[in-house]
Amino acid sequence: MEQWTRREDRRLLTGQGRYVADIAVPDCLDAVFVRSGVGHGTLRAVDCTAARAVPGVVGAWSAADLSELPAVPYTLLARLSNEESVAGREWPALVKDRVRYAGEAVAVVLGEDRYRAEDGAAEVFCHVDPLPAMVTPSAAADDSVRLFDGLSNIAFRGEAGKPVEESVWREAAAVVEGRYRQQLLMPTPMECRTILAVPEGDRLTVWSGHQMPHRLRRELAALLGWSVDRVRVVVPDTGGAFGSKSATFPEFVVVAFLAVKLGRPVRWIEDRLESMLVATRGRGQDQRVRLAADADGRLLGYELTIEADVGAYPHLGVGLPMQTAWLATGPYTTPQAYATVRSVLTNTMLTYPYRGAGRPEATIALERAMDVMARRLGLDPAELRRRNFIPPESFPYRTPTGRCYDSGNYAAALDLALETLEYDGWRAEQARRRTDPGALPLGIGLSCYVERSGGEAGGLHEFGSVEVGEDGTVTARCGAAPSGQGHETVFAALVAGTLGVAEERVRLVEGDTDEQPEGLGSFASRSAQVVGALLQHVSRRLIDEARERAARLWELPVDEVQWSGGIVHAAEDGSAAIGVADLVKVTGPLRVEDRFESGMAFPFGSHAVVAEVDPELGTVRLLRVVTVDDCGVVLNPTIVRGQAFGSAVQGIGQALYEGMTYDDQGVPVLASGLLDYLLPTFTEVPPIEVKDTCTPSPATPLGAKGAGESGCIGTPAAIVNAVADALRIADPDLLQMPLTPDVVWRAARAPKHEEEVR
Amino acid sequence: MKPAAFDYVVPRTVPEAVAALGDAGRKAQVLAGGQSLILEMHLQRIRPELVVDINRIAGLDRLSVEGDTLRVGALVRHSVFESAQSAPGPLGALFARAVVNIAHPPIRSRGTMVGSFAWAHPASEWCAIGTALDADIEVHGLEGKRVVAARDYFHGPYRTARRPQELITAVRFPLLGDDTGVGFIEHRRTHFCFAQVAVAAALTVRDGVIGEARIGLVNCADRPLRAGAAERALIGVEVGPPVDGHRLPDGHPFAHAGRIAATQDAAPLAEPFADVEYKRHAIAVLVGRTLCQAANDQRSRLAQPKGDHK
Repeated sequence: MEQWTRREDRRLLTGQGRYVADIAVPDCLDAVFVRSGVGHGTLRAVDCTAARAVPGVVGAWSAADLSELPAVPYTLLARLSNEESVAGREWPALVKDRVRYAGEAVAVVLGEDRYRAEDGAAEVFCHVDPLPAMVTPSAAADDSVRLFDGLSNIAFRGEAGKPVEESVWREAAAVVEGRYRQQLLMPTPMECRTILAVPEGDRLTVWSGHQMPHRLRRELAALLGWSVDRVRVVVPDTGGAFGSKSATFPEFVVVAFLAVKLGRPVRWIEDRLESMLVATRGRGQDQRVRLAADADGRLLGYELTIEADVGAYPHLGVGLPMQTAWLATGPYTTPQAYATVRSVLTNTMLTYPYRGAGRPEATIALERAMDVMARRLGLDPAELRRRNFIPPESFPYRTPTGRCYDSGNYAAALDLALETLEYDGWRAEQARRRTDPGALPLGIGLSCYVERSGGEAGGLHEFGSVEVGEDGTVTARCGAAPSGQGHETVFAALVAGTLGVAEERVRLVEGDTDEQPEGLGSFASRSAQVVGALLQHVSRRLIDEARERAARLWELPVDEVQWSGGIVHAAEDGSAAIGVADLVKVTGPLRVEDRFESGMAFPFGSHAVVAEVDPELGTVRLLRVVTVDDCGVVLNPTIVRGQAFGSAVQGIGQALYEGMTYDDQGVPVLASGLLDYLLPTFTEVPPIEVKDTCTPSPATPLGAKGAGESGCIGTPAAIVNAVADALRIADPDLLQMPLTPDVVWRAARAPKHEEEVR
Repeated sequence: MKPAAFDYVVPRTVPEAVAALGDAGRKAQVLAGGQSLILEMHLQRIRPELVVDINRIAGLDRLSVEGDTLRVGALVRHSVFESAQSAPGPLGALFARAVVNIAHPPIRSRGTMVGSFAWAHPASEWCAIGTALDADIEVHGLEGKRVVAARDYFHGPYRTARRPQELITAVRFPLLGDDTGVGFIEHRRTHFCFAQVAVAAALTVRDGVIGEARIGLVNCADRPLRAGAAERALIGVEVGPPVDGHRLPDGHPFAHAGRIAATQDAAPLAEPFADVEYKRHAIAVLVGRTLCQAANDQRSRLAQPKGDHK
């Protein structure tokens, strides 16, 4: 294992990984979906007759051909959705009468392979009468065209905190306002969505790259009308998820349903173009902010108004913007704060959690406003932040928008970021360039964030077990489901460390509902924090159980029996000692299983960026990116570092590159795939310096907070602030992400703030 | 997505290839590097009935100097031009500056220059260079060989003077003299994507005065363009002292030429993240900067000892 950084790397980096598409099952059929070419319309006719005649096609169905096909299950998890939002707004697995987003499936074709199924799909006749397609919340909010007849397009309203008193705005020394667009983003995992459903006797085995296998099992069993024990979900190697693989998608419903109906294995391996068209989106908020401060820069009030684009059906994304509202005030003490959410249905694919999931939106809104405030007050942006940080001695800290932060030392993270960046040196360089007419303008941007990890109340527990075999092998099982995070390395080391045995002896089993009957999964940066705590807990209980057994064997009081490095021995004279493997041979199987609950944790950090702008072309060059993140106690520094780096790159993607445009019919312009929707590639990745501070969380026994979403949350605002700082524009609202060259060029031509007359 | 079903032939000679293409009953496509064709077939935007793979035709990979022209055979890969020595003098330098903008090294090791001419994407670097330098395109059909001048060859996006039954066997470029300086600058959102705008320039300078100017515009219209009006404005102009192209003064002749290219020569089409106004502006800026680069290149060539102008 020496040459590999992580235990799973030997397999994953040498082509030995086994993904769903690698699983060969005899007689398996490939599913291909016929998708709507318009974003909104009335489905008039679907005819699959010609498709059925194509050689190698085994069947083709529209919704009308499958009257018993269940709808897509809704989930009301974690207050992210509610009954009222979903009532009357069914998401059919195949379109019945109304197309509500481009690419929505109107028919399915099963073929002996994907080539033949695609040939069949090309023969399906489909007629949709287009309706006006609304791809922004502002276009849909007035209900002039309704997605669901008789129901408003506004599917959810929420608020956090209390309205800020009028006197605050009136009497404040400074009030700044802003409007920020959080564009829709694609999660873009390397492996798109996958499902393989294999009927076996009266059971169905489902292989899927998925974050929540137990939820998938529960939802599939419910829609088949089966008991959950008849469905087994297995998650093999999975090539990334970023939040986008936790639902029972329409395609999954169809695949499971047809596999059972035909009694034959069926799989759907989503390709990149499909994924770009119909995989869930992240972000999607239009925000208005108002921030008040006194003359010394102390914040007095903050108001955040969110109009969220939740896509065509009210799934989890409908309440997701509440994550933004609850975290509205970030790391600052703000006496009065009020955040409101209006979630609007639009003719886009659904909004859903994507790495950061509500927290980037909160951070970007607040941190951009903080920079505008600093400029207004003539304060250094770092100083303004420092004056308002929640002090380290104030934790647990209850925010006006309803969160209770566990622990933090926000100033320490900012100080480390400034020191690492060499902030003063870059400010001097910036001043020099401002006097040199030939120099490109340079800006420095900061962003301080607090996020939440672990999940919401009701979802902060996990299930698992530890077992020792007669050969001394330790098997740990848990309900988590990795998609590339390195669980096999981290959790094996954690269990080995707790038991005091060699890591090689520990085997981790996860992502299989037959092996681990109950579980929640991997989402909300919860695995280290929640699952780690569980595995430590069951490992300690296993030690206790071994000591009790030995005590009975030796007829000693249990407190005279100790555990050390996988050996139980009598504490007093050390005469009796037995290895745990032998103990199992003598006393029978040794296995401890349990449920363990942690608290919510609030990771935080400060990111700093130096950007150079070519105002003539509008290009932005990141000269330096510094990320300082605090995720409490780090279980594996290399893995946390990799997570911080990767998410910072995705943060750069939101700030500079990623964005979608739509044609007149509400169809995203994505015909050339990743040539249309640009991700940062190796060439675009600037020097990123990843650092951390450590403030343990009291909410979980390990002291670990979630890691991995930090860059998506912290980096974008730092980049936008750096560009705004470079250009010194009077109206920073001109800079809306992604900061493509045309956007930056237009902003660069706008009036500078020095020229402003106040 | 997967390609639709197709037949596949591997001719060993040009006449065999032409014969395969000449089967009027079947819609045929030529496969050289496959840089664009394979992707388009996957997307089913192209559904050929027959793919004619020319990779086994001997001699098509030849790159040769014939008199004062460079002849690039149909199987010469992009990567060959990464070395400035691939072609004599400034032409090799121009190719080397341009080629690094084409996709990534693995793609450049398969894709071909002639394939770019065949595909005729408006954002093709080679096509704009060929247009600016008056390249000739050699095509073979059932009736034999004919030569089409670049200026007559491009008819629009993916549309050319090549007939479906014809095979392009080579593109010929005139060599550039050592009194010519070259520049190539591309502007795009990430290294991965197509150019929003790119400009190729060749300036021939004698005694400090521009005698000839050639400017190729990439993705500035529905086809590659030569910026004739901007070129004419440069003839007889003194190149003057070196300037930093990033902040070219408005009155500088290169800035002036840039504005002419943007307003009179270019006919840019709007794209996501680049409307016509932005594109015209970017064309003006890029033409100015590329001319600066070409003038600097010419100066440095002049400064080199004779005989070292490879």
